[in-house]
Amino acid sequence: MKKAHQHPLEKILDNRIAIIDGAMGTTIRTYGMKELDIRGLRFKDAPKSLLNDGDLFSLTKAEMIGDIHRRFLEAGADIIETNTFGATSIAQSEFFVEDPREHGGRKDPEFYQKIIDDTFLSELTWDINEQSAQLCREWADRVANATSRARFVAGAIGPLTVSLSNSPDADDPGFRVVSFDQVRTAYALQVRALIAGGVDVLLVETVFDSLNAKAALVAIREVFERDGKELPIMISAAVGRGGETMISGQTTEAFWNAVRHVKPLSVGLNCSLGPEPMYPFLEELSQKADVAISCYPNAGLPNPLSETGFDLQPQDMARYLGDFARGGLINIAGGCCGNTPEHIAAIAKALEGAAPRRFGNRLNEVSFARQGEIESRV
Amino acid sequence: MSVPESAIVDPSRFSPLRLSGSQPFTQQPGVYILIGERTNVAGSPRFANFIKQGKYEEAVSVARQQIENGANVLDVCMDEGMIDGVTAMTRFLQLLASEPEVAKVPVMVDSSKWEVIEAGLKCLQGKGIVNSISLKEGEEQFRHHAATILKYGAATVVMAFDEQGQAANYEDKIRVCERAYRILVDQVGFPPEDIIFDPNILTVATGMEEHNNYAVDYINATRWIKANLPFAKVSGGVSNISFSFRGNNIVREAIHSAFLYHAIAAGMDMGIVNAGMLEVYEEIEPELKVLVEDVLLNRRSDATERLVDYGETLKGAGKAATEKKTEEWRNGTVEERLAHALVKGIDTYIEADTEEARVKLGRPLSVIEGPLMAGMGIVGDLFGAGKMFLPQVVKSARVMKKAVAHLTPYMEAEKEARAAAGESVKAQGKIVLATVKGDVHDIGKNIVGVVLACNNYEVIDMGVMVPCEKILERAKAVNADLIGLSGLITPSLDEMVHVARELERQGFKLPLLIGGATTSRTHTAVKIAPHYSEPVVHIVDASRAVPVTTSLLSGNGKSAFVAQHRADYEALRRAHSAPKLSVVSLAEARKRRTPIQWRVEDLPQPTFTGVRALHNFPLVTLRDFIDWTPFFHAWGLKGVYPRILEHQEQGAQARQIFKEGNALLDIIVEKNLLVARGVYGLFPANAMGDDVELYTGDKRDKILERFHFLRQQSNKEGSEPCRSLADFIAPRETGLADHIGGFAVTSGIGLKELCESYRARHDDYNAIMAEALADRLAEAFAECLHKCVRNEWGYGSAENLSSVDLIQEKYRGIRPAAGYPACPDHTEKGILWRLLDVEANTGIQITESFAMWPGSSVSGLYFAHPESRYFSLGKIDRDQVADYSNRKGMSIGEVERWLGQNLNYDPAA
Repeated sequence: MKKAHQHPLEKILDNRIAIIDGAMGTTIRTYGMKELDIRGLRFKDAPKSLLNDGDLFSLTKAEMIGDIHRRFLEAGADIIETNTFGATSIAQSEFFVEDPREHGGRKDPEFYQKIIDDTFLSELTWDINEQSAQLCREWADRVANATSRARFVAGAIGPLTVSLSNSPDADDPGFRVVSFDQVRTAYALQVRALIAGGVDVLLVETVFDSLNAKAALVAIREVFERDGKELPIMISAAVGRGGETMISGQTTEAFWNAVRHVKPLSVGLNCSLGPEPMYPFLEELSQKADVAISCYPNAGLPNPLSETGFDLQPQDMARYLGDFARGGLINIAGGCCGNTPEHIAAIAKALEGAAPRRFGNRLNEVSFARQGEIESRV
Repeated sequence: MSVPESAIVDPSRFSPLRLSGSQPFTQQPGVYILIGERTNVAGSPRFANFIKQGKYEEAVSVARQQIENGANVLDVCMDEGMIDGVTAMTRFLQLLASEPEVAKVPVMVDSSKWEVIEAGLKCLQGKGIVNSISLKEGEEQFRHHAATILKYGAATVVMAFDEQGQAANYEDKIRVCERAYRILVDQVGFPPEDIIFDPNILTVATGMEEHNNYAVDYINATRWIKANLPFAKVSGGVSNISFSFRGNNIVREAIHSAFLYHAIAAGMDMGIVNAGMLEVYEEIEPELKVLVEDVLLNRRSDATERLVDYGETLKGAGKAATEKKTEEWRNGTVEERLAHALVKGIDTYIEADTEEARVKLGRPLSVIEGPLMAGMGIVGDLFGAGKMFLPQVVKSARVMKKAVAHLTPYMEAEKEARAAAGESVKAQGKIVLATVKGDVHDIGKNIVGVVLACNNYEVIDMGVMVPCEKILERAKAVNADLIGLSGLITPSLDEMVHVARELERQGFKLPLLIGGATTSRTHTAVKIAPHYSEPVVHIVDASRAVPVTTSLLSGNGKSAFVAQHRADYEALRRAHSAPKLSVVSLAEARKRRTPIQWRVEDLPQPTFTGVRALHNFPLVTLRDFIDWTPFFHAWGLKGVYPRILEHQEQGAQARQIFKEGNALLDIIVEKNLLVARGVYGLFPANAMGDDVELYTGDKRDKILERFHFLRQQSNKEGSEPCRSLADFIAPRETGLADHIGGFAVTSGIGLKELCESYRARHDDYNAIMAEALADRLAEAFAECLHKCVRNEWGYGSAENLSSVDLIQEKYRGIRPAAGYPACPDHTEKGILWRLLDVEANTGIQITESFAMWPGSSVSGLYFAHPESRYFSLGKIDRDQVADYSNRKGMSIGEVERWLGQNLNYDPAA
């Protein structure tokens, strides 16, 4: 059953493998920015070091973020992500609010309720999301016009710095630092601001705790209902050696069962331990899920002694994703941490003309195509 | 549970219910889903008491028992006047999430209060079931609830209730279910396969006539739903049916089984029933079965009375309590049991087992540093291998905590005794943990904190973004024994170096632990450890934190651990800083290929191409080709045959084994105790870059196979070329018709049996001798076959070489083998095996690690060009590994694994 109104991105996915961009965080670091650069005027008096709060650059060094977007687009990305991975009040609080543990206190739902209610943090996260989305939109449209090829903006929704599934208290496995409703509220603000800034799709990514992700998905649904506007959703998990969400330990198929009700545009894997250990889990997901499959792994494992900080070079990533494509496993490909515009260019080149994975109602066509292929090989 | 044949499912009408906890659950056609119901306060007074008294740990163990008894889904209900439903549901489900064995299965959130259901849904990372919603309060409420459930991603039970109340008879049941189905599917967009109807199982045999048809009504409604509401499921609370027989378990069990038998046949998918309250349908006493079915199927008007009368005669008979089966793992040694408990996260017996180990080992500390630490070591290994996940590691640590808690009083007593005796005693270890300045990630560090706290260390967690001076200040203030630093992003690495420097400058004397995603062992050794005189140890994951900490803080184990640690890190630094051999780029190496002038007259044309097999090659022929020198080496005699026979010291012994070897060889040859088989082939071939392509025929238009070769990359002096075996085959672009050969031979067939027969007679000497001889025969076979092939290739006939000349390889051409210096990649054997169909032709197999079996086998490739020669590949660089990986279609990691010895870099660095 084909939907009456197909999203333009869906049309692309029918015909080829779409390319999503590479790493924001590790690419920012190559610009050699200093504490002063990220503070600008707006944050000149912030109490803590902000240099690693990369999302703030959208406000204080927009030209650098724009440059990164441009480079990924020129490398061949169809989809670029907003610089909003940590743009929730919960994640931002880590940079702006004193950690109670420094004085023997603890983080608990009471602490996070103050964070959720904090107007400074709410305004800050709204601004980061809205302006990041606008900036991304601007560059996507500019390059789209220049190249006569549609480009899409994905609102990046990260996994937070807290877990809804894990207890940091040795004496109480039932304890949680934060509540589902607090997480949901924080995500809802991010989602509304991203939509206000003009994103095309919402990308719930680097899911290491499926319950965090579910809170984000519930928030998205509630924002859609409240504002009467719906966008396609993409979901992507970060998995360990057994294919499990890294913190909450949920296996691939179980994860898909838990999120398929949102009828996402795509589901997939990103970040993780690099491309190589992903193969079997991508295969599993590809068999079980009747939606597009995305894959944008880290450039291997972090390696502080290598030049790029990661193990894999552009041609390595191109080869791995080429393998995934040949295996008929993917519809969207790109890179996560450690992937520079050169990596994305290599991936885009390697996947040029590669057949996308068939899925949903297109499954039958495939089996015929595959059969023919096998016969011709014999 | 027996399933009647009529329960066969039409696959076109079946869309399975798919759920999940941390693991997926998919309904199988025709298989009844078991829902554990003991975690329901309404059904289990025991569970209700645990909750009311706040004994959540016991309550969790009830859940675990349900899973052990095979429940596919766990029904959790907190509906009880004295219980705060929202709080209890939330707390219990959050505890279950920390119980990996339970968290695997999906949860059924069961409540009549909507706020309790919503609270439950907020705790489920997987896809559960809501039990239940209905039209009782009208359509609007119903739609709202259904939409909310869909938002959270759960399936739902729909009770056959509407504004008028409970649907009791068949017509009402199907009317209400159809109405609910249409609203859910058409208006809410609820997936039909996620709708589970509960058409009300009501009590029969109450004495009221209008109740007599309740079972039939349910069964018929079930059949109708399955036939008319596509993909919908049917469930029900089974124990209701037999409520009038309370106190008579034999009758109740028979009723449950018979009811389920018929309901499942009608399409019932699942039900809530105490698995302990079920008789096997076939085993119901026949007379009872008739009476029960008379009641259930409403077959006669006096059915109830007859069953009641019959039931009276059974009362009190009661079944003997079934003996609780002991779990298999309880039979192991106490060490094995402790390890099992830690790996599986079972705390049921941990205290008893710990006590047993304490008595056995004498000291409490010996239990911790012995079996408990060994168990955690296994946990670490399994986690490293991707066979355990983080929640399970944390659960293991919590079991460990119980064991340690049991031992603590004994350790305290020991300390007091030692203090009384005037010895100095150490307090419990104190650890300061912090995520360094600039970094906000601490979930991983929190897990390390939990694991350490579970091992009785006092953990002071300073949180995230902690500046160096604050860490040091706190460590000093609390008199810490250890500092642990964490970080996830690369800039944190520099901050860690800074902390190490400061520790050194301020004269700290405590060890430093380093952990987090971007950190590595090599980086810690090379960049951090040199700045601090005390041990700086990298912790690869949470599961490894405890063994390291224990070693560092242990009185007697510390010095050995630190010595080993320092040696390891020194080796890492040396390996890292070792001047790498100077290598040239692959492109440059290719320019320096073996210079060969390609001429037609150097390329003899073989008399045949294709594959030939040699079955049962005469051993007597091979005997003349034996090179005896390695035979003496095998026996530990270093010397060259035949001179060794006259050697001053070794001569006598050499003569002895030479004589005995030949005597055994006589017997082997005479009685054909070993069989020699071989296969070889010659093929049209040309080089393409560093690959050699083999063609199916002389037209050379179709590629049969492709061998991949590596090229020397070390930067040699002068005009020495960078060789590759591919250099010895005429490149495709020369247009010349070159050939390549391949072979595999064995003389090991029958060797295993021969050796076994000697060993059975306790004659190990001849068993080893037979192996040594078989090896020699295999090499002899390779030599002999190579000679034949040179003749068939048309360039060997004029050789006229003695066997000594042969051994010294004074002939033209080479036969290098995969796995040897010129082409060290063993996996190329796979191609040769395919090419010659070696296994079928000779019986030689290749193992997973590409070793040949039986062992007395030799394989390789034939190169005929006069310039071809053996060489050693030496070290190669990343560019060639990448190129090779591309050519072979093998991942870089795999290439690096197979060529580890030849890499001019450290792939782990």
